[in-house]
Amino acid sequence: MSSTTASVRSLYVHVPFCAHKCEYCAFYSEASSGELINRYVGALERELELVAGTLRPQTIFFGGGTPSILNLKQWHQLLHTMDRLNLLGAAEWTVECNPATVSLDKAKLLRDFGVNRISMGVQSLDERLLERLGRIHSREQVFKSFDTLRAAGFENINVDLMFAIPTQTMEIWHATLNEAFALQSEHLSCYEVIYEQDTPLFAQLKAGEFDVDEDLAYDMYETLIDRCEQSGFFHYEVANFARRAGAGRAAPRPVLSDPEIPDFACRHNVNYWRGGDYHGLGPSATAYIGGLRTRNWSNTPLYCEQLEKGKRPFETREELPPLQRAGEIAAFGLRMTAGWPFEEFQKASGFDLRSEWAGQMSELVNKGWAEESPVRFRLNRQGLRFADSAAEMFLR
Amino acid sequence: MDAAHIRNFSIIAHIDHGKTTLSDRLLHITGTIATRDMEDQLLDAMDLERERGITIKAHPVTMLYKAKNGETYELNLIDTPGHVDFAYEVSRSLSACEGALLVIDAAQGVEAQTVANYHLASKQNLLIIPVINKIDLPHANVTLAKQQLEDVLAVPSEWAIPCSAKEGIGIVDILEAIVERVPPPKPTGEPSLQALAFDSYFDTYKGVVTHIRVFNGEIRPGMMVKLLHSGKSYEVKEVGSFNPKPYTREKLETGETGYITANIKSPSDVKMGDTITDARNPSAELPGFKEIHPMVFSGIYPINTADYEALKSSMGKLKLNDSAFAYSSETSVALGFGFRCGFLGLLHLEIVQERLRREYNMDIIATYPSVVYKIHLTDGTMKEVDNPAFMPEVTYIERIEEPMVKTFVICPNENIGDMMALIAEKRGQVDHTETLDARRVMLSALVPLNEILIDFHDRIKSITRGFGSMDYEPSGYADSDMVKLDMLVNGEPMDAFSCIVHRSKAEGRGRALAEKLKEVIPRQQFAVKIQAAIGGKIVASETVSAFRKDVTAKCYGGDISRKRKLLEKQKEGKKRMKSIGSVNIPQEAFIEVLKA
Ligand SMILES: Nc1nc2c(ncn2[C@@H]2O[C@H](COP(=O)(O)OP(=O)(O)OP(=O)(O)O)[C@@H](O)[C@H]2O)c(=O)[nH]1
Ligand code: SF4
Ligand SMILES: [Mg+2]
Repeated sequence: MSSTTASVRSLYVHVPFCAHKCEYCAFYSEASSGELINRYVGALERELELVAGTLRPQTIFFGGGTPSILNLKQWHQLLHTMDRLNLLGAAEWTVECNPATVSLDKAKLLRDFGVNRISMGVQSLDERLLERLGRIHSREQVFKSFDTLRAAGFENINVDLMFAIPTQTMEIWHATLNEAFALQSEHLSCYEVIYEQDTPLFAQLKAGEFDVDEDLAYDMYETLIDRCEQSGFFHYEVANFARRAGAGRAAPRPVLSDPEIPDFACRHNVNYWRGGDYHGLGPSATAYIGGLRTRNWSNTPLYCEQLEKGKRPFETREELPPLQRAGEIAAFGLRMTAGWPFEEFQKASGFDLRSEWAGQMSELVNKGWAEESPVRFRLNRQGLRFADSAAEMFLR
Repeated sequence: MDAAHIRNFSIIAHIDHGKTTLSDRLLHITGTIATRDMEDQLLDAMDLERERGITIKAHPVTMLYKAKNGETYELNLIDTPGHVDFAYEVSRSLSACEGALLVIDAAQGVEAQTVANYHLASKQNLLIIPVINKIDLPHANVTLAKQQLEDVLAVPSEWAIPCSAKEGIGIVDILEAIVERVPPPKPTGEPSLQALAFDSYFDTYKGVVTHIRVFNGEIRPGMMVKLLHSGKSYEVKEVGSFNPKPYTREKLETGETGYITANIKSPSDVKMGDTITDARNPSAELPGFKEIHPMVFSGIYPINTADYEALKSSMGKLKLNDSAFAYSSETSVALGFGFRCGFLGLLHLEIVQERLRREYNMDIIATYPSVVYKIHLTDGTMKEVDNPAFMPEVTYIERIEEPMVKTFVICPNENIGDMMALIAEKRGQVDHTETLDARRVMLSALVPLNEILIDFHDRIKSITRGFGSMDYEPSGYADSDMVKLDMLVNGEPMDAFSCIVHRSKAEGRGRALAEKLKEVIPRQQFAVKIQAAIGGKIVASETVSAFRKDVTAKCYGGDISRKRKLLEKQKEGKKRMKSIGSVNIPQEAFIEVLKA
């Protein structure tokens, strides 16, 4: 598959540092220490050098952790290296920001080098809940940094929200949604709190400090979907909503090939769900190229050490047999409301959805969870509630 | 060895009175075990025995002892378990002996199994040597123990030998008493070999290893022998004794105990109590053993359905070494193919399960234990039921009888009140109270076996802070208001949880089970109703609410692999789920509830 490796078009970069660890967070990140961040930036540059030859990024995503925690100098260094390696110029380039670590200088620097999308980890606009979650920023900082980003020229901003947070009521959720909509962002990501093992929140749940109200969580999700649609957000994936172009917003270029996906959908993520290739750099990052999935060490010093020795810092590799791989691609693509255009699926997986999974498709249609047209198969609103059960059926 | 120089004896006692410790001591002093190889409770070789500090299996050992009279004797000792569930081990061991050491803990005195085991031995006409052990303990009371011997067992107190197995006091006196008092074995006068098979185990290389006691004639390798019960003949491959490890001998003669192997690969060919005789010149059959009837039944199922055959063969081998254990195949909607198994009690049940797990690596689950009920039907016939699944419809039932046991409880005077209350709670009736000595009484009561099984013994121990003991023996059947409790999911019965219980306890148990099931049955896309029903009447009900979504979590590139594995695991799990009333229930859920 060397022909495809010559032109991987997506790049993920993991920045494993945060100012403070949130109560619910299971990402690989740690409270930063200045020296380690410098060492990391150096290692990341090595890693970029190692993959640059096979990379022509159309989408880039800097996630974390908190990428905005890198200081101006570190960003400078990194962006220059990317320039030197000819990695700038992606059609969509997202950097995740914490509302507490956005400065106008930093925002401008990013914008100057071609970053054109910001994903803001807001989570809640209720002061008490922000504290409950261990977030370091205030509600005020959210509004302020949003303005800062707009001022720096960002025309594509995502806001991350969480619901079903312990002690969160429906009223609070409505209030948060009201204020989030008022921001007029292009994109919203909203997900239910996940109780990940080894997080403080999980320990509190196990210790019986609070109960999970599943009915409330369900109602919050339904509310979210209804209200997003009323506010001009198109529900395009289980947890993602985006605007369409128009009303003063020009569609990002190039235009998406599937008309069922809204213009401001995160193309980088769409590539994940549609089984595309991507490089993943930084500690704990996953890459998927030509069917081979690799994962870097979730250990920053070890990650640096490997790269300092000139080695790729892989901790694991996984390569599935073709049919199993196609099953995985099918399963995860169904998380999008656009589902799978048959042609698209064939291109991504090499298999025909209609012949290989005919049984599962008709079972889902009969159950009232899905619909099939001559060109595509997709889960409907009801089916999307059970996207995991549906996904399971497609795995081989 | 000529019969005049052979002594065969068992060591019997109430649990923990020091049988195994005394056996160790005897092995040591006779030089059977070198000092450097000594360890505590050496004969309790099984891991389970060592962990629990109790003897489960009878252990035979052959020792040579040079007595004070200058002659050397072959002493064949069998250490036996004290717990009532293993009484069959004791009675089989006794049938290979002429004498028994009845050990009494000097600090505890005569207890329930002291009495029971004494009666077992005296019924078999064995010579009994009372041994009062643990005289080193500060609160040892030899006088009182002797008094109890006379009062409770009518054994002359001057027969008793005080000793401390732990400190090595009185051990020689015991050995001398064995030589002097235990009668030597006598040939039966039959024309040829007569040996009794009283225990066995399976050896992967040698096949069945049969423990025998030679009553007449002799047995040596190369000989053709016949097992009278099975009618099969075999050539003897190996003959030996235990020290306590098996060692080969040239032959076993009249009066000796040991083992033989004959390349017997099918465990079911050897029946305990069978007579082994010369195939060419057979002698008469020995009395053998009374058929033992299991008192408690439970289903045992492989957790992995594919292990059914392996479990079957493991059970066959285990039964060789535990002849009180019985099994036959059965099926369950919830658990698939498995076995209906019979045991002498709950500890026995537990030990069998543990042995299957450890010695045979079987992954198993057992259903709720049941006793055997006699169901009298309206058409005048009677049906015995030990599995709730086979309980007839209520309309066909005229009346139900449940097995009763006569229980003997020995407890300190101050606990009488609590003990009476416990017996009443267990639906029992005290019919006799007897003062044993200044401090203790013996209560005898008629109690349903079903109630004894649950936690009777533990409750006695806790009420009396360890000073109480109990024993029981079957005592017929009595009419009883028993009902079948069914557990239903969305209206369908889950057979693994059905049980036969007394009406007064059915509702409480139903409620407890329903609550537990609610915890373990995963939510489905529809509401699941869990009910406890007695003959169609719902007595408890719980609902597992429907889940309305299974996904809202985010999932990006880095999550895909983990998420896929999770879904694959779920999918795999669903394959192993049983669908009852269209509700998918993972096997683990059944197991969790059955374990509780
Ligand atoms: N002080 C003292 N303790 C003893 C003596 N003999 C045995 N014990 C202790 O009593 C406990 C039980 O001893 P075992 O020899 O296992 O008793 P057992 O009769 O074989 O028990 P089961 O086989 O389970 O019926 C152990 O803790 C022994 O150490 C003794 O002479 N003196
Ligand atoms: S800021 Fe984000 S990555 Fe960092 S601890 Fe909080 S949730 Fe985790
Ligand atoms: Mg013992």
